[in-house]
Amino acid sequence: VKPARFDYCAPASLDEALPLLGLETAVLAGGQSLVPLLNLRLARPELVVDVNGIAELDYIRADEGALRIGALTRQVALERSELVLRRWPLLHKAVRLVGHPQIRTRGTVGGSVAHADPAAELPAALIALGARFHLRSSGDARALAASEFFLGPLYTAREEDELLVEVEVPEQPEGAGSGFVEHARTHGDFATAGAAAVIAAGHAGIALLGAGPVPVRAEAAERALADGAAATEAAALAAQDVEDEHRRALCTELARRAIQEAMP
Amino acid sequence: LTGRLAGRPLRRREDERILRGRTRYLDDIDPPGAAHVAFVRSPFAHARINGIEVPDGLEGVFAVITAADLEGRVSDLPVQGIDGGEVSAEGHPVLAGEEVRYAGQPVAAVLAESRPAAEDAAERVDVDYDPLEPVLDARGSDVDMAHWHKVSGDVDGVFESAEHVVRARHALPRLAPVPMEPRGAIASYDEPDDMLTVWVSAQDSHRQLAGLAQVLGRTEDSIHVIVPDVGGAFGSKGAPAPETMLVAAAAMTSGRTVKWAEDREENFVASYQGRGVEAEVELALDGDATMLALRARIWADLGGYLMPTTAIPGHTTAMLMCGVYDIRVADVELVGRRTNKVPTGPYRGAGRPEAAYFLECTVDVAARELRIDPLEIRRRNLIREFPYETALGWTYDSGDYARCLDTAEELVNRERHSDEVRVVGTGFGMYVERAGGMFETADAELLPNGKLLVRSGSSPHGQGHDTTFAQLAADRLGVELEDVELRFGDSKEVPRGVGTFASRSVAMGGSAVVQAVDALKEKCAAIAAGRTMSLREVAEAEPGIRASARFSSDLVFSSGAYGAVIEIERATGRLRGLRLVAVDDAGTIVNPLLAEGQVIGGSAQGLGQCLVEEAVYDEEGNPTFASFVGYSLLTAAEMPPVLAAFVESPSPLNPLGAKGIGEGGAIGTPAAVANAVSDALGGVRIDPPFTDAKLWRALREADT
Repeated sequence: VKPARFDYCAPASLDEALPLLGLETAVLAGGQSLVPLLNLRLARPELVVDVNGIAELDYIRADEGALRIGALTRQVALERSELVLRRWPLLHKAVRLVGHPQIRTRGTVGGSVAHADPAAELPAALIALGARFHLRSSGDARALAASEFFLGPLYTAREEDELLVEVEVPEQPEGAGSGFVEHARTHGDFATAGAAAVIAAGHAGIALLGAGPVPVRAEAAERALADGAAATEAAALAAQDVEDEHRRALCTELARRAIQEAMP
Repeated sequence: LTGRLAGRPLRRREDERILRGRTRYLDDIDPPGAAHVAFVRSPFAHARINGIEVPDGLEGVFAVITAADLEGRVSDLPVQGIDGGEVSAEGHPVLAGEEVRYAGQPVAAVLAESRPAAEDAAERVDVDYDPLEPVLDARGSDVDMAHWHKVSGDVDGVFESAEHVVRARHALPRLAPVPMEPRGAIASYDEPDDMLTVWVSAQDSHRQLAGLAQVLGRTEDSIHVIVPDVGGAFGSKGAPAPETMLVAAAAMTSGRTVKWAEDREENFVASYQGRGVEAEVELALDGDATMLALRARIWADLGGYLMPTTAIPGHTTAMLMCGVYDIRVADVELVGRRTNKVPTGPYRGAGRPEAAYFLECTVDVAARELRIDPLEIRRRNLIREFPYETALGWTYDSGDYARCLDTAEELVNRERHSDEVRVVGTGFGMYVERAGGMFETADAELLPNGKLLVRSGSSPHGQGHDTTFAQLAADRLGVELEDVELRFGDSKEVPRGVGTFASRSVAMGGSAVVQAVDALKEKCAAIAAGRTMSLREVAEAEPGIRASARFSSDLVFSSGAYGAVIEIERATGRLRGLRLVAVDDAGTIVNPLLAEGQVIGGSAQGLGQCLVEEAVYDEEGNPTFASFVGYSLLTAAEMPPVLAAFVESPSPLNPLGAKGIGEGGAIGTPAAVANAVSDALGGVRIDPPFTDAKLWRALREADT
């Protein structure tokens, strides 16, 4: 299959790119999801805006304690970042499970977040870390929490004229441990389910992937853990709303492993 | 096999060229000015076609071809019969006429200046369909397309008086073959010479040539088939495809070179699939667990039409239902039904994995019911003398089944245990495999520089012919490996032959090579007439020395015993293979390294079938597996260690003593893994694929 016809432009800056966005446009970053969708003719944009030339969106930096990741940052850069490994190790663990090395070399952090696959690794990890998502349009800028950003499978609060420009990850509590576990049919395949956990004294961030239409924040489990619950008990709470029996058992087990890995 | 070269584990000499990309696959051929084809394919599993409307002014389009345009120019694809059975004359049409019988069936073909332009236009061709109720399983169908039934001995009497009767039902889902390179064809027609040239990604040139001649109503001499490098087939590029016929017909009507290089989605929905069979098996045993009689009824979901080879795997399954056991009384029936899915056909194993799975799983059920060890029940019943004519009519030429089983037992290190985290079990599966048969050809020529050129009717698509055949030829002529050049796949260049399938290349093609080289050697000796001459001197003395051979033989029967140790994780249901043991008797092994590679590759496909592979259709008959998101293949990470060993009992039917090794891994593995799963589950039986969800539920059943 070959894509249906589309127009193409490759702006060199954010200022140039933003006015191009609108109805029937698709943003091309790493292309690891968009290109197959184009080839299968499931996505049929009139205009493809290639943002790969916008160097200003490619950065990883710590800024007053928070981690700021430019949307165009390649997944492999996140994987190899010393800063991320040292202070936000959950992201390091999660990104290593995204597809295969070839995919992570092209795929971007912003692309994975904006694509909003409920089985994707980075959104779940970012939810557990309490990340915020920065959007820009020609005239406006706003930042959303995960609960406001992820609305459904492949569906986010991003408006058609907006571009996801940055992911902001807050500083994690002193001594926080992290765990990321997933289950896939085969190595590198889309995950069937998974769990992300960040745990410190009096703090827990738990999120599941593959457990519903959007990556889920397991608030009941977080509260229980902050109150000193054991991993098994918290894991059961994390997966309690998953409908299918086997998937619920699977999510419970993955949550238990992630929590155990994260426990100090 | 003792030779300087044959019998040695040489590396594939073709790999450097392949790994460096110095290959030419079908899609690498880019004829200037070619018309590119995109097919309009049926979105319905079953529908009547009321009409097809092609809008005017389609950009970049040369022609849109429908069945009406082909009337009188092409016939349906031919159908191969089965010995002792009937097949219906429901050959696959090149393009659908009034009816479509599966989602993905070609309805019209667009010829355009590029593939994207052809796809754009294909979307705009308006086909008026009346959807009809689809039939999605063999038992729900009332149209027989293939039928075979054989009764040998007093089956009812033996069952009535037998001390034990064991019954089991089994099913194997449909599988997509998924070669790395999808299918494709290019055709051009030279009107002045009335010569049709067809490049096609296929297992061999011969069956493509015969199919083209038949469908187009041309003589074989007026068609030139060229098979370029081929990136895998696993059986799926053996029978000619309707799309290839369309490409050839379109080249003749349009006067253009026409190219079709299919994409992955087309390959998934329109390439014929493997398996898709169910069986009910009954085994009558006496008090000592001696197998007295077997009854089996096999239902095959054949799809909407018979491809040329669709009926073959079911027939092979039926014929092999007595397996490696001395069962003198048998009643086996094959019922192949029409359904609204893509046709099935040979896929690595091609009927033999089905037979091994149905029988070997039943034997394990019997072992459990009779409270006897699964190895012991097998040992008591193995065939031990050869040749052996089975109750179903084939004659096994050679084998040492007991030694295969003993070796598998030694290597596998049986385990069965259960704790809070996991359950572990061990299973065995034996098989006997028809291989070879019919004939094959070769031609040996002494080149002016004293080197040897061998043309073989058996051509490679991943097997390593260029190395194994060169080993054989170099040994026979007493030259070095690099002094031998092999040529394949061009119908003008190579002698007419049969082709590459049924694990037949070494036994048939290799034997023909050896005979041709021997004949050449005799000619050389006659020229030298007692003088000491180098081959170069002989070639100078008499240029153009050639000799050819046509080797034919009855079927040879490879065999083997497989073992698997698996664990299932209680919390998730995940199955992990801990180790596989593969003991194969393929007779004489020409290249142990390549033979082991075949075993490991086949085992990976066999394990893939156990773990993840299944071509699932929804209740309307739509394929849900048309990409690698919907259809998963194992990766190296899921492969447990495979311990491969060979038992070599030579076949008396060919000069090499060779049988076949290409499919054993795919045949033995599913039965062994299924029996290991059942062993781990305390006797609960489920059919593959053994998904996490199925195993998790089965474990709960086993625990209650």
